[in-house]
Amino acid sequence: MLQAIKRNKAAYFFVLPAMLIMIVLVFLPLAQGIFYSFTNMDQYNMGNRFVKASYEFIGLQNYIDVFTGSGLTEFLGVLKQTLIWTFTNVFFHATIGLGLALLLNRHIKGRAYYRMLLLIPWAVPSFISAFAWRWMFNGEYGFLNVMLTKMGFAGIPWLSDPFWAMTAVIMTNVWLGFPFMMVTFLGGLQSIPKDLYEAAYVDGASRIQQFFYITLPQLKSTIFTATLLGVIWTFNLFAVIYLITEGGPFNSTEILVTYAYDKAFSAWRLGEATTYGTIILSLLIAFSFFYSKVMKVTEKE
Amino acid sequence: MTKKKVFGFTMVAALTATTLVGCSGAAEPQADQGAAKEGEKVKIKYWSTMNPEETQTLEGIVAEFEQKNPNIDVDVQNVPFSDAQNKFKTSAQGGDAPDVLRCEIAWTPEFAALGFLLPIDDKLSAEDKKDFLKAPFNYNVYQGKTYGVPHVTDAPALLYNKRLFKEAGVEVPKTMDEMYAAAKKLTKEGQYGFFVSADSYFSQPFIWAFGGNTITDNKDVKIASADSIKGLEFMLKFKNDKLSQQNFDFANQYNNMMTDFKEGKAAMIINGPWATADILSGKEFKDAANFGIAPVPAGPKGQGSPVGGHNYVISKASKNPNEAYKFIEFLNSTENQVKFAKANKLLPTRQSAYDNADLKADAVLQGFKAQMDVATNRPVIPEGGQMFADFTPNVEAAVKGTKTAEQALKDVEAAWNKLLKK
Repeated sequence: MLQAIKRNKAAYFFVLPAMLIMIVLVFLPLAQGIFYSFTNMDQYNMGNRFVKASYEFIGLQNYIDVFTGSGLTEFLGVLKQTLIWTFTNVFFHATIGLGLALLLNRHIKGRAYYRMLLLIPWAVPSFISAFAWRWMFNGEYGFLNVMLTKMGFAGIPWLSDPFWAMTAVIMTNVWLGFPFMMVTFLGGLQSIPKDLYEAAYVDGASRIQQFFYITLPQLKSTIFTATLLGVIWTFNLFAVIYLITEGGPFNSTEILVTYAYDKAFSAWRLGEATTYGTIILSLLIAFSFFYSKVMKVTEKE
Repeated sequence: MTKKKVFGFTMVAALTATTLVGCSGAAEPQADQGAAKEGEKVKIKYWSTMNPEETQTLEGIVAEFEQKNPNIDVDVQNVPFSDAQNKFKTSAQGGDAPDVLRCEIAWTPEFAALGFLLPIDDKLSAEDKKDFLKAPFNYNVYQGKTYGVPHVTDAPALLYNKRLFKEAGVEVPKTMDEMYAAAKKLTKEGQYGFFVSADSYFSQPFIWAFGGNTITDNKDVKIASADSIKGLEFMLKFKNDKLSQQNFDFANQYNNMMTDFKEGKAAMIINGPWATADILSGKEFKDAANFGIAPVPAGPKGQGSPVGGHNYVISKASKNPNEAYKFIEFLNSTENQVKFAKANKLLPTRQSAYDNADLKADAVLQGFKAQMDVATNRPVIPEGGQMFADFTPNVEAAVKGTKTAEQALKDVEAAWNKLLKK
């Protein structure tokens, strides 16, 4: 160990500044957050410039509360919503992104313009899009319902029905998120050697066969990275839900992060909120670990 | 002077300054440390939560204050009312709070309990204290100390469209049953009787009218009592019997309520004086005489409407508390309260303001004043500002029909017991 450090002295020296910044900005707050999850901290005992902190260490009590009784029902409800939210979003991001990437990979006229246009949802700051969508979802005066009623249909209770509210936030986020997948996949597609397709063509493989036997396998590592990132980002995506439904109606669009935020900055039960934060972190670490294991196994096959 | 000498000089000056501070009484080091030197310009950061119409009036008053006090520079920052409670807590925690905050009445005991506010008992003059109305002033007192001065008071009233009432031939309802009957007559193609808001703040009058209650000053939770349930059920009747709007959009409901009322779709709504300027800009109320205000009707066991309002408070972290108090004293003078009352229909908190002849002749203002006589005080407890976070989602569920009124209020009770640590 020491030998290794000595040998690569210069390398460690170069990494040091970045490492120090990481420790101060990431690892220390993280450790602090995990520590708080073992305390009963709330706004009255957290202390400030004028009042001494008086919160106490309560061991695993917060975790016991989350995993038993009414706390468990609450947690499972939000977890279910989080999973629906995450996987529906990533599924549509990936399929729409892949479809568009395949289209844009062909030599069509004005390809550069299409690519630019399709990037717009991603380029606009997400809170602006979220507000615009919120106006469109207005039950009485919103664009969508006005169009529906003009065409003779009944308006949809977008933001006041649990099912439609979840649909609404997912629609918004799909619109916001597909360009990232599209660009990533497009990059992947362009790195596939052309001669593979030529060889397949000579061997008489159909377009569909080419897609399944060349494109998809070649694109696998790109898909893996992009969807893994997608799952982590979407799982922790705060802005869209917070700005459009605020977690409502009656908490039916709360996901774990927005719920933890409410616990922290609306109820100010910081011990409980950091418990949720620690659980979110553990879930994502576990997910990444298994996901990469599964991908490695299939790669070997 | 050589560099060395300058350094020495500064050191001596700094040392003297610290010793002086040390001598000047340990009780109030905050006040002395940053007190303004002669001729130095002092900056007061003020977080206002006013709406655009009120801000216009405020700007005039601040300009006048700065002119009269050339050594004080007021930095007005507009913080949206819905974010202000959290934003203040976060910034006060971080030690970066504004000097002055326009603080909702229920937040005041909470911030005081958290130790974020400066007691102002030594600054408040005796005649001011006597002039303030009792109920609004009480929200500034926490454990025997005064933490602010009341700026405005309010209570939502029953607002109605006089033209629609005349067309349907209905009188202004005095009881809940009359209100229901009126709503029935006022509902027809393209218009409806009463806008049912799922914002729990506006559900409270129904709960009180039937003898129910939310939380008492002794922290007793009464929200799931039989009377409270009856009150909420009565409110839901407007929706179930199709006498209300049929499209429920909780996220946008306040704006939709205002639009429906301004367009003449909703005949009655429950809202407070702060909405007046917005209402009078609507097409139904081009003639202000069409705008009717009456106290929220009485129910079988009572009558009430939640007392709200705002105080001016000084942050404990303020470096210039004396200048900050000078500012709120000016902002809250009788003359300026009258200004806000005239321009924005905000109800004054000073007896002397109500003696103003113009205000006595103002129909809108007197309409809301009449509601104040039958208004209900909200509990003066630190948790008062947090109670609606659990209340509203449950009222939404009841309005949507996913929970019965009873179940919804039982869930509120459970959440409040947790909030109050019972």
